[in-house]
Amino acid sequence: MAEYAIEARDLVYTYEDGTRALDGICFRAEAGKITGILGSNGAGKSTLFLNLNGVRTPHAGQILLAGEPVTYNKQGIQRLRREVGIVFQDPDNQLFSADVYRDISFGAVNLGLPAEEVRRRVEWAMEKTGTASLREKPTHALSYGQKKRVAIAGVLVMEPRIIILDEPTAGLDPQGVSDIMHLLTHIRDQMGISIIVSTHDMDIVPLYCDYTYLLCGGEMKAAGTPEELFSHPEILRENHLRLPRIAHLMEILRDKDGLDTEVWVSTIAQARREIKRMMEQNKDTAG
Amino acid sequence: MGTDRYAYASRLRRMDPTAKILFSAFVLGVCLCCPGIAPGLITLALMGLLSVRWGGVPGRIFVRFLRIPLAFLLLGCLTIVVEAHAPGTAVLAGVRLGGRVWGISPAGAYRGLCIVVKSLGAISAMYFLALNTPMTDVTLGLRRLKVPGLMIELMDLIYRFIFVLWETAANIRTAQESRLGYTGFRRSIASLGSLSSMVFLRAWNKADAIYSALESRGYTGALNTVAGNYQSGRLCLLLAPAVGCAQLLCCWLEVRCFG
Repeated sequence: MAEYAIEARDLVYTYEDGTRALDGICFRAEAGKITGILGSNGAGKSTLFLNLNGVRTPHAGQILLAGEPVTYNKQGIQRLRREVGIVFQDPDNQLFSADVYRDISFGAVNLGLPAEEVRRRVEWAMEKTGTASLREKPTHALSYGQKKRVAIAGVLVMEPRIIILDEPTAGLDPQGVSDIMHLLTHIRDQMGISIIVSTHDMDIVPLYCDYTYLLCGGEMKAAGTPEELFSHPEILRENHLRLPRIAHLMEILRDKDGLDTEVWVSTIAQARREIKRMMEQNKDTAG
Repeated sequence: MGTDRYAYASRLRRMDPTAKILFSAFVLGVCLCCPGIAPGLITLALMGLLSVRWGGVPGRIFVRFLRIPLAFLLLGCLTIVVEAHAPGTAVLAGVRLGGRVWGISPAGAYRGLCIVVKSLGAISAMYFLALNTPMTDVTLGLRRLKVPGLMIELMDLIYRFIFVLWETAANIRTAQESRLGYTGFRRSIASLGSLSSMVFLRAWNKADAIYSALESRGYTGALNTVAGNYQSGRLCLLLAPAVGCAQLLCCWLEVRCFG
């Protein structure tokens, strides 16, 4: 049986003005995996994340951290925030200090660690995120991608078991996107940290996500591996999303041109294998 | 922006900020307490030399920064130096107006010169700090010197978010300009008005978002951080009495020779 790092059961959250941002969400993130949450703007992703980290308290439902229900007293919330780190979409909302080193140290200091341990962790997080060379620069002199890395380092120092990233690739150039996603797979594989990412960049989903949820209007509309999700393009389209470009191409080849392609093919590597397989088949039938 | 750009490039960037603050404050204090012209001149010379030779700040940059307060200083001095004198007083320059002589007497000129030189000396002491210490280090040093935490945190946050808000304002302004928002006086005023209200609203929203982000990292009411390691500031602390002695010596010599 799979082990779940964090789980939400029938989560309900309503804002003061009456908007029901989360309407009975059931969600679980497997330990040591990257779980993707797909959803258009205003689907409730950010509200869900703030609930998972204890900044917001759900009005109904439960959150389980490694199988244990979270208690909403001081210790319980502190534990939740220690174990679950959030990297917000806009790094300017997260980086409060003009000094890179001190900003990264903030979370570790809040854990009550001695200064030497904080320094060790800051150095380690800067090395892991490739931000060591930025220590001599003020925050406002960094590029968007660099700020994003510093924000990730600021969460890594807390050595959480789960890292949540809200739209980690939004606003980055292609190189920046692949750098950040490589960093995330590295964090997952080398440090065993479970990762939850929200995104509407469909093309990166089959490349990096182990499991995906489709969130829309505060409800989970679908869940499954990326391949399972892409086997039902109509659900994606109903919820203002689309197939990855490759999967779309394969869909057209199948539906319009009558080619015998598999439904779930959604990455370049999978498509290549699929095309080669069909060419072999052709050869066999021709020969 | 401003002095900070040079502070990050300074050779003294990694030196313990507490020592630099104490040194600058000490030199500033002695400069302000010593009467006459010579102490101000020697402070200006020494602090300029230390910034340029020791800190690696380009000389012309130091001079350029000195010129900024000079204009205020000269205008301010004018009102002190120009006085009304009884008719027949010896003045360096002046005009008769309504039965009195309005002008500069030798004593007044001396007093004005003292003020200008003393101010420049004091400013150069502050520039030594500002051109060699990034703002975040200054606030850290002040915290170590037991300045109340709330004030320090406000300074830190304000400093950080000046840049964020400035960028926001610049983006809005560009967007307005691209739609001809600043053609003509009336339209400019209207655009500027909506820009200010937008920046205010954004700042309000941002404060909310930042609070959430801080909370998620375990914020409990204090922005405590650990800074990187600094080099020892002992040299700075040893220099303080040396510069102080030079200032006092100049003061004494001036009183003895011309007093």
